[in-house]
Amino acid sequence: MRYFLRRLMQAAFLLIAVSMLTFLFSTLAPGNYFEEMRLNPQISPETAAALRTQYQLDRPLPVRYGRWANSLLRGEMGFSFAYNSPVAPLLWVRARNTLLLTLTATLIAWALALPLGIWSARTLGRLPDRALSLATAGLLVIPDLLLALGLLILAVRSGWFPTGGMASVGFEDLSLFHKVGDIASHMELPVLALVLSALPVLARHVRAAVAEVLEAPFLRAAASHGIPRRTLLFRYVLRAAAIPLISLFGFSVGALLSGSLIVEVVMSWPGLGPLLLEAILARDLYVVIGGVLFSTIFLVAGNFLADVLIYWADPRIRTGAAAR
Amino acid sequence: MIQGRGWKRWLLTLAVLHGIIACAGFFAPYDSAEQDREHPHLPPMKIHFMDSHGRFHLRPFFYEPRLREGTFEQFEESTEEVQPFRFFVSGARYRLLGLVPSHVHLFGAQDGRFYLLGSDAYGRDQLSRILYGGQISLLAGLLGAGLTLFSGVLIGATAGYFGGWRDGLLMRVAELFVALPWLYLLLALRAFLPLSVSPVQEFFLIVVVIGAVGWARPARLVRGVVLSAKERDFVKAARGFGATDAYLLRRHILPETSSVILTQAAILVPQFVLAEMTLSFLGLGVPEPVPSWGSLLASLQQYSTLVSYWWMYLPVLAIVPFFLGYLGLASALQQDGATEKMVGRAGEDIW
Amino acid sequence: MVRMPGFSTFGRWLGYGMLTLSAAVFSRPATGIPQQSRSAEELLTLSGEIGKQGGRLVISLRAEPKTLNPLTAVDAPSREVILGAMQADLIHINRATQLTEPALAKSWKVSANGLQYTLTLREGLRFSDGQPLDADDVLFTFRVYLDESIHATQRDQLIVGGKPIAVRRVDAQTVVFQLAETYGAGERLFDGLGILPRHLLEKSYTEGKLAQAWTLATPPDQWAGLGPFRLKEYVAGQKLVLERNPYYWKQDTKGNRLPYLDEMVFIFVPNADAQVLRFQSGETDLISRLGSENFSVLSRLQRGYTMTDAGPGLEYNFLFFNLNDPGEKTSPDLARKMKWFRDVKFRQAISVAIDREAIVRLVYQGRGAAIWGPVTPGNHRWGNSAIPHSARSLEKARAFLKEAGFTWTTTADGEITLVDADAKPVEFSILTSSTNADRTKMAALIQDDLKQLGVHAQVVPMEFRSLIDRVTQTKEYEACVLGLVSFDADPTADLNVWLSNGGTHLWNPSQAHPATAWEAEIDKLMKQQLTSPSYEQRKQSFDRVQQILADNQPMIFLASPDILVGAKNSIGNFHAVVLEPYVLWNVEQLYFRNSAENARQ
Repeated sequence: MRYFLRRLMQAAFLLIAVSMLTFLFSTLAPGNYFEEMRLNPQISPETAAALRTQYQLDRPLPVRYGRWANSLLRGEMGFSFAYNSPVAPLLWVRARNTLLLTLTATLIAWALALPLGIWSARTLGRLPDRALSLATAGLLVIPDLLLALGLLILAVRSGWFPTGGMASVGFEDLSLFHKVGDIASHMELPVLALVLSALPVLARHVRAAVAEVLEAPFLRAAASHGIPRRTLLFRYVLRAAAIPLISLFGFSVGALLSGSLIVEVVMSWPGLGPLLLEAILARDLYVVIGGVLFSTIFLVAGNFLADVLIYWADPRIRTGAAAR
Repeated sequence: MIQGRGWKRWLLTLAVLHGIIACAGFFAPYDSAEQDREHPHLPPMKIHFMDSHGRFHLRPFFYEPRLREGTFEQFEESTEEVQPFRFFVSGARYRLLGLVPSHVHLFGAQDGRFYLLGSDAYGRDQLSRILYGGQISLLAGLLGAGLTLFSGVLIGATAGYFGGWRDGLLMRVAELFVALPWLYLLLALRAFLPLSVSPVQEFFLIVVVIGAVGWARPARLVRGVVLSAKERDFVKAARGFGATDAYLLRRHILPETSSVILTQAAILVPQFVLAEMTLSFLGLGVPEPVPSWGSLLASLQQYSTLVSYWWMYLPVLAIVPFFLGYLGLASALQQDGATEKMVGRAGEDIW
Repeated sequence: MVRMPGFSTFGRWLGYGMLTLSAAVFSRPATGIPQQSRSAEELLTLSGEIGKQGGRLVISLRAEPKTLNPLTAVDAPSREVILGAMQADLIHINRATQLTEPALAKSWKVSANGLQYTLTLREGLRFSDGQPLDADDVLFTFRVYLDESIHATQRDQLIVGGKPIAVRRVDAQTVVFQLAETYGAGERLFDGLGILPRHLLEKSYTEGKLAQAWTLATPPDQWAGLGPFRLKEYVAGQKLVLERNPYYWKQDTKGNRLPYLDEMVFIFVPNADAQVLRFQSGETDLISRLGSENFSVLSRLQRGYTMTDAGPGLEYNFLFFNLNDPGEKTSPDLARKMKWFRDVKFRQAISVAIDREAIVRLVYQGRGAAIWGPVTPGNHRWGNSAIPHSARSLEKARAFLKEAGFTWTTTADGEITLVDADAKPVEFSILTSSTNADRTKMAALIQDDLKQLGVHAQVVPMEFRSLIDRVTQTKEYEACVLGLVSFDADPTADLNVWLSNGGTHLWNPSQAHPATAWEAEIDKLMKQQLTSPSYEQRKQSFDRVQQILADNQPMIFLASPDILVGAKNSIGNFHAVVLEPYVLWNVEQLYFRNSAENARQ
């Protein structure tokens, strides 16, 4: 319990540090949101300057940070220059859309990576392993962007998948059942892209971890005792191989909000990715900070989960820590 | 049963591949920045031995390209103008390995330009760009991956081994590093560097920044393994015998992490090289006219290139042997490492 | 692929037809209006194909509109949606003919001294929620645009002769605008200034919250406008749905009230290639502002749609050097280079060394035009045909450089390098926006051109806002490639680019006094064309401005891309133009030819 409270406090400090540093980063680069107006001959530089003052972009940094923290407590998370509205409602909707995608993709990726990695480790050096290694190497070489674009082209050429977006144009007129089906069919391609990009890394790590355990003598001893294969797999092999995999799982959780940016942009999925990318390029400061904070929360949660699971999975750490 | 030799083969292959890239000036027929504005997006030229009149030439040759009637951008062979190949041709000047000035190229043509792998949007030879591009990309990839891995292992091992408040602090700092929007910083980097910093220097600065801040992930992975490894019986026994921390780390604990580290290394190098492509997407890649694999692949991000100019995919073919080499090496090292451990620890299990 | 020269005869016929017919239109009550006792509506009659009612038009935008409030809309998607489909102005510039025509105002009179514009509104018009439109709405609108505390982007356009325009109501249908100085462009002033509903916005205005009104989350019954479509629904990150405005004030020659379409849907597709793919798959009906490579791809396989090249638009791209006065903060390196840039022969040399044809060919695949001045071929009335279109010539460039005191030496590596009078090699950096691939390509081509002169130029892509900051604020740059798109064909649209005290006078912005004699002359000429009433006089002044720009080359003009669009074959009345909005300028007349297209799954 004490451990939990300690981690919670650390997480709070982390969030504060992240917000401060992001504020700082944002001032490093010269220019601001209203800079774009200066290239518009219709708008005078005085107007752009006046807008800057109105949105208090000329105040010193600590003052701006204080005001932002204030608005955070009120649940608004600052003000978007572009949308002219508070940031929080913008982020909630998008974050929900992103989570829908990434949760599905993460579950599927892990569900595929575990059996594939184990199979590969069991047949180490033989045909299935080599085929899998080649396949994962091939997938690793293809960057996210190309993958997403390639799948989109496939969708257009074949007509089997919708070409992007989250829902069809006539979404409102559909029944509830059809609505769910519509969203699901729009999710197919982005989820496929995310799974294909995450799978090689996961599968290779699973393979490496399991292969190492399979070499271990204690496993041969257990097998020679006549313990059935399935029990061996779940009780012995996976538990022993779990450590690096748990850290990896922590990363998966941590990347739930941030890992899908490219896929979302290419496939026009209305998630956090396109919003943040546009905000970064347009210097919509508070949207960026809000998005970063959201992602950080997930990151912290992911790492916390991983740490807890490591302690649970490996009794040696528990007893070792207790003994000391 | 000790297989010590598999990894040596992979290492040799990689050395040869890197050697070719290092001597790109010799193997590439042209300078990577030479434009040929009459021939943009030229498909790869065919090598012929038999000409259109049915005569056999001992020396291979190619045909000059000519614009197809009525189009802006489609080319065909003009079967009258034969251009023979030459080997060890004198061409653009370069410095072999950056030191020795030379102007001899492996092959080329007397007049006319031979595009073995086609040309890009400015009419520059793709083959030359791929070879020169490898220099920058591999350097960036190795540098970035090396930095990340080195700092990651160092910090992760420290955190995992010493535990306690050190572990907590380091892991929180790791979270901080992962959480921060480095993209913001990178986009701004160019803006506050003085203009005298060349774009190539700026690119490597970006790679260093990415490499330096990327330690968090390997650190966590290594830390997890170290945490569990240090509680192992043989470690405790060795400590009981009076081993120092350094000895324990070096001899017993770090070898446990070898499989994680190797896998990470094999994945990181390709990822860094490919990260360039995403950087180019955001305008942070290596700028013109310097080629790099990432910027060559960046042109593939456009739908029009994907469907119209298939030869722009060819840089992928160049990259694949390198990646397979790295992955194979890592695999081989892992396997041999595992075998070694098995042999080495036979004694422990009896005990 | 259909190649239309920028101004087809059909377009001309259409435009003049509309003008003549609209001048003769009077009360013609259209069918289907809810019965209420009120004065008869005066609708504007448009000629063109008679279309069928019904259908939903789907078009993709590169980014979400950020707001529905015209006062705060600065980004391109917001302006496209608002000005294209949701608002109407008093006097409108016909995008096809590039001439003005009556819109909400059925006629106007200019006083003899040119300072007073009396506009007469059409009778019986209503907003999209049914409320009547009258002069009070016009007064409210202009008061809000001119209000200093709101900082509306429209305010600067309404300052003529240093003073804001005064607006006065004469009666319920007549408004008088008083200018402090004659305005050469005349009634073009009113284009794009949508009339706002007083009954919905006055409360927010008095409370000082007008800038926060009409965000995307506005419920449809809180919004009203005079455009062909009104707000129906907004789904965050996905789409904006507009529905037909049943009170729209235009009709066709058969008396059917426009628009023909029932709904318009804007979907947000952040990636240009995804936009192309969705158009190809039939999900969207129109596509606008294509890059030339995507245009070629789509043109190869025209199944159910037709691609159109409307000719060069009003965008002009240019290379310019830092011509500011070196201050104390300028590094000695930069100050040294600025001495080169200030020599007009140096700039002339660079200009004649650049291969503009190659830029058009390699960057725009031939779908563009090389330019030697800011007026592109897409602008029919204002180009100066006397400006020489000098072909690329390295000899002339070398001659200019020799005259300017530069010489050539050979370095240790055997390269020929240009050096200045102090034997320092000539090298400089060219900034471009890192997100604009076309301009970066131009910079790369220029870099190669200059290499042949012995000049070593470096292309430095930089994040856009930092670049603007460097060019307009800190002025720490050497050369830069940028482009501007004229909002209107009239030279007054780009006034602040040519005036020496203008904020967009990029090579030396916001000067207190003109730095050179030729800039002073340009100032004088631009002020002349701003105030003289006749087109011939204004053209004379502006022709002279273009000549001065060609002689002094503060901006080395490069190329202008064509406007490339595509539309489904089933869409009737579709004509592409070179002024924004390129495909939606006549959205009220678009219709679907076969009703099968209207059913969408």
